[in-house]
Amino acid sequence: MNRTRWLYPLGILLLLCAAPLDVLARIKLTTLPVRERVEIQLDHPQIALVEEERIVPLVKGVNQVDFSWANTRIDPDTLVLRILPPPADQSMDAKVLSVSYPPNETALVWSVAASASGAVRVRISYVLGGLSKDFHYRAVADRDEKNLNLAQFLRVNNNANEAYDAAEFWAGVGGRFGKPLGLSETKEVQLGRFASVPVRKTYTCDPLEFGYLDRAQDKLNVPMHYVVKNAGGTLGQEPLPEGKARIFQDDGKGGSAFLGEDRGKFTSPDDELKLYLGLARDIAVRRTVDRNERQRIAGNLYRYDVTLKYEIENFKDAPATLDITESVRQIRDQIRGDSGRDPEWQLGDGSLRNPDPEKSDADKLLFHVDLPARAADGQAQKLIHTLRLSLNNEW
Amino acid sequence: MTRNWIARLSCLLVLALLPLVAMPRNVDLATVPTRSTVQLTIYNSEDLTLVRETRVVTFKQGVNPLQFSWANTLIDPTSVELKFREPKIGLEVLDTTFPHDKPQTLYWNVQSDTNHEATIEISYFTSGISWAADYLAMADPEEKTLLLESFVRVRNHSGEDYENAQVRLVVGTINLVEKIAELAKLPVGRVDELKREEYRDLRQKAARKMMAPAPAPMMEIAAGAVAADAEEMEAPKEIIKEGLSEYFIYTIEGTETVPNGWAKRLRSFEASGVPMKVEYRYRPREYGDQLTRLYLLKNDTASKLGTTPLPDGMLRVFRANGRDGLSYLAAQNLKYVPIGDKIELNLGPDPAVVFELLKQRVYRDNLWFQIKGGNLYRKLGEDGLKLELDSQVAGWDEHTVYRQRIRNYTRKPINVQIRREYAGDIVFRSRLNPTLHDFQTVQFESEIPPAGKVELDYEVIARMGYNQKQNRVELQAGDVNR
Repeated sequence: MNRTRWLYPLGILLLLCAAPLDVLARIKLTTLPVRERVEIQLDHPQIALVEEERIVPLVKGVNQVDFSWANTRIDPDTLVLRILPPPADQSMDAKVLSVSYPPNETALVWSVAASASGAVRVRISYVLGGLSKDFHYRAVADRDEKNLNLAQFLRVNNNANEAYDAAEFWAGVGGRFGKPLGLSETKEVQLGRFASVPVRKTYTCDPLEFGYLDRAQDKLNVPMHYVVKNAGGTLGQEPLPEGKARIFQDDGKGGSAFLGEDRGKFTSPDDELKLYLGLARDIAVRRTVDRNERQRIAGNLYRYDVTLKYEIENFKDAPATLDITESVRQIRDQIRGDSGRDPEWQLGDGSLRNPDPEKSDADKLLFHVDLPARAADGQAQKLIHTLRLSLNNEW
Repeated sequence: MTRNWIARLSCLLVLALLPLVAMPRNVDLATVPTRSTVQLTIYNSEDLTLVRETRVVTFKQGVNPLQFSWANTLIDPTSVELKFREPKIGLEVLDTTFPHDKPQTLYWNVQSDTNHEATIEISYFTSGISWAADYLAMADPEEKTLLLESFVRVRNHSGEDYENAQVRLVVGTINLVEKIAELAKLPVGRVDELKREEYRDLRQKAARKMMAPAPAPMMEIAAGAVAADAEEMEAPKEIIKEGLSEYFIYTIEGTETVPNGWAKRLRSFEASGVPMKVEYRYRPREYGDQLTRLYLLKNDTASKLGTTPLPDGMLRVFRANGRDGLSYLAAQNLKYVPIGDKIELNLGPDPAVVFELLKQRVYRDNLWFQIKGGNLYRKLGEDGLKLELDSQVAGWDEHTVYRQRIRNYTRKPINVQIRREYAGDIVFRSRLNPTLHDFQTVQFESEIPPAGKVELDYEVIARMGYNQKQNRVELQAGDVNR
């Protein structure tokens, strides 16, 4: 039976065509139409919309349909009763005349007029508090960390004080699915599975976002990320909702090892999902300000010539690519203090002179630097890179 | 059980025993004429309802004392008025007394020329009855048309049951100088202490505008209608909308019973197939710093609406999913929409449309210096100009190059309208054919095909300091300096 002890089912008053005072007296004999179908729409970011279908017997004339929701968090202002069109061979017509709200009760009474006696199929929709959802991901990377198998899960948390014996769910992404959902239950289902998704493993140094490992020694943090583009294959058809992602790697022995986890941001198609897994301690980056010269142009107007030097060592057995990210504003503020104006800059003839055009802008500069694997004797090659900037028109 | 606290209109029958001014007694005999009709005129802008009720009373020749009491209700005692509906002549109110020992009671001494039966009308203001509009909008799956339903909800917390009342709802904002709920708590004698002598006149003046001639007994009409339609299916009650002065009055067909503590919601109108347009707007002042999706429609007859202004009320928007189900889109407080005006339903951001503003380059030129803090200004780069350290930058043009990137992952082309507001002396340079929404707000538009992307480039040149001559945006057609 679909009825639960908390959400009292619809009641149809059998005292039909009675004066409203019969309703007011609240003494009633009811029939109990059970839920024929339940759909739970979770496509809204914050709100759960529940739709129940029930077959309600009506008699010719005016019927009182009583709906109550004790101990649940139905938003009564969102309750909608829709009478679905009858089958073609039925000529019965029914309409909602009014809704009455009794005092001190979580209930309402629909007044429904019917042109003939018979049963109608109705849909009752309401926003239900306490029913929430979240997404999470699980990915297993292959041995060489070039591809991974990504699984997307939906978790529905039922704190709504209401059980649904059979409900069809729709989360806005993925397919619809039917499951029962009990009281205070959490249900998890796999929504999507994306096989052999190309993954890019990146090492990044960004003093503004990730800071220093050792400030006194000018050593930067070098976090490691997995970057998955929401495009190609079965990906890219829908956005990837935000959610926690756990990354494993195939250990080559039939099992997997946990690499790390991160909260993935909402990722539109064609955008990249960047997951921070941990610090890469085998890549060392020292960043120093190698040159800081001020040249007066006129009056109190100056140009600053700045050179940043990066000493990079890769202690890994494999070559890697390091992403060096800088904020020009932060450099300017460090060199001469914040003037409140955006910096005006020009790249000089340092070794870093070709920023990634897609990921650089008026403030942010991103350079990709290839790092060779350490030598056979175990020695890591020290690479020196320089970023030369002219900060113009500063005062 | 019906609690009828007001129906205590007492005609003292033993008139010979009474002095001209009725006095409280321990032993009394009274008759209690019941209400014949009652009309509620409910204002949604204030906690105010004008109640007009009629009763049939038998008068004898001479002075007739009438007692009216309203225990446990929220009636404003200063607003209670007695009028004679039938006959209109031969009856006169000699005086009104508010006894000191009986709260929420008054006495009228009525002079009658003859022995006869009369229909009297008692009107008063009460608080605790309110009404509000609310709306339900359901878009079709293709988002071309909308089903718009409007409702009115009457709530009664006045302490009094009103049975078979004609209900009229006033749409509009009236002026009140006192809150009825506060007046209801005060004895009449203390109202004067408020030293606001004109309050009653002002309030009644505003409210009496709403008073149409007294209605025919609505119970009879309603009963007749029910009898005539006995074989037909009962239709939802019609709500008749009429304009009056600056206000609109909705009259609910027939009568309604709204017991104390209850609320009742009735459909005001339903319009299906209302044409609408979907538009995306970036207007930070109106919708915050996000690209917002809107349904746009008009309250006019071409849109199958336009029979009434739409009063303020909560509007909930759903979209049919084509499988008998709905998607919940948004809820918003709809502000009063006059007939003919546009209706904008704000659905919030759309995750299927990505809206990014990229700042691509910043540079400065046209630098001017103030020489030694005096009134002399010189431009950088002038021949032979040598500027010492004590010359300060006083004016410059700040160029910022932007790229507005919009990606559309929906299955339909979308229209995007962007407004950006700039303070100061600004040149807006682009090939976007922009217009000025106002002197400092630039507006431009773009259509993005399904699964498509556009990049809109523009340069904002802000004349700063000494260079600022105006406070406005100038539009300039030209390529941006990337």
